[in-house]
Amino acid sequence: MNTEALKDLLYKIADDQLILGHRNSEWTGFGPLLEEDIAFSSMAQDKVGQSWQLYQMLTELGESDPDTVAFMRNADQFHNCQFVELPNGEYDFSLIRHFLFDTAELIRFTMLADSSYEPLAQLAKKIKGEIKYHKMHADIWIKQLGAATEESIERLQKSLDMAFPYALGIFEPSRMESEIISEGFFSGEEKLKTEWLSKISEILDQTSLTLPDASLQTPVYGGRYGTHTEHLQPLLDEMSEVFKMDPTADW
Amino acid sequence: MALQSLDPRVSRLGIAEDSLSHLVPKGDLDQFETYEAFVQVKENKPFEHAGPVHAPNEEMAFLFAKEQYSRRGMFCIALCVIKTENIRASHFTDNGQDVYDTLDATASGEETESFEIFHLMKRGKQHKYAGNVMARDYDDALVAAKSLYQSAKPVFNIWVVKSEDILATDEDDQDIWDTLKEKQYREAIAYKAQDKIKAFKEEQAAQA
Repeated sequence: MNTEALKDLLYKIADDQLILGHRNSEWTGFGPLLEEDIAFSSMAQDKVGQSWQLYQMLTELGESDPDTVAFMRNADQFHNCQFVELPNGEYDFSLIRHFLFDTAELIRFTMLADSSYEPLAQLAKKIKGEIKYHKMHADIWIKQLGAATEESIERLQKSLDMAFPYALGIFEPSRMESEIISEGFFSGEEKLKTEWLSKISEILDQTSLTLPDASLQTPVYGGRYGTHTEHLQPLLDEMSEVFKMDPTADW
Repeated sequence: MALQSLDPRVSRLGIAEDSLSHLVPKGDLDQFETYEAFVQVKENKPFEHAGPVHAPNEEMAFLFAKEQYSRRGMFCIALCVIKTENIRASHFTDNGQDVYDTLDATASGEETESFEIFHLMKRGKQHKYAGNVMARDYDDALVAAKSLYQSAKPVFNIWVVKSEDILATDEDDQDIWDTLKEKQYREAIAYKAQDKIKAFKEEQAAQA
């Protein structure tokens, strides 16, 4: 088994879940309405929980324990795409990111349910329901606000245009893409991207929003191998504040 | 000068300190409508009332209800939401009097529509699903329910809902209730604060 290729795959998925989970959790107490605040925070917790499971898998493959991996790395050691580290902005941006990312997430984990690496296939099956709900949540919001008022449509369209090149960065190919595919760990970013484009179009077609032409965009790559925006390090500093103060703290 | 808070997220918003003094007062009643959520905790158990949610439409009410009423260790296998204004409530009775015994209408017998009946069997508890009736209107449904669902146990309040006004879980989406079990950090019960406070106090005392 090509362990290096497997780790490469696990790290990027885990880091995406952790960083976006943390970002989304920043909405706690600030949500546009109480019920949505609770729902968004809950989904953020799901993502953090999923990242823990993946870090646990990495520990079993010889990496450090999940807390150390999550809290003690610097920005340039993170493998998340830049998309997930961008600041929350207004709710329109957070919703668009939630929609674009979680659609990819659902397809990714559905594909991973057939992974040749059994623990990963098992996890993908276990969390399918959580992720299905996340997409259901995103779709309903986008359909609602994407066809509501002039302001809601304009705001979402602006966020969609801004987010799209970053969203394409989710599919940055791995340096070991061919090994990952040939080992049967995952059927690859290109396949994921193709299916993602059709799934997001399916929802956007039911709204007044227009999907930017993917072929005219330059995807924002680099995140998978440590190139990040200025926004990641402050997030990490804040997230690891307690751990760094007292690494033995627990509950 | 930007507003500084102990919560770094607030400080990051860069709100001008004096901007809070001229907030425009909110208009009256700008809230969304309410929906009532009902959960089924186990197969073969009746749906029971869980609580209300605010939402702009039925689908969103379902989303919110799922997060609010089926999380935190509460077991749930199915959920439905009903717009509050579509629930007709009977009057309440007390002191062991069955509300069914206080109805004075008679069923018309023209069965045209399907209604669902919920019973309050104990004051302070939730309304639970009793069953379905075919009836002409809400009052008619109450009378029809009396012949079908009245028992030796008194009912203190009845809710009547048109079946078509209910949005329930899709069979195919049953798996949205599957969730990772390793989420102790979410449960208040996992925070064993007392031991820590005790240990902290002992440590302080030892240092003194």
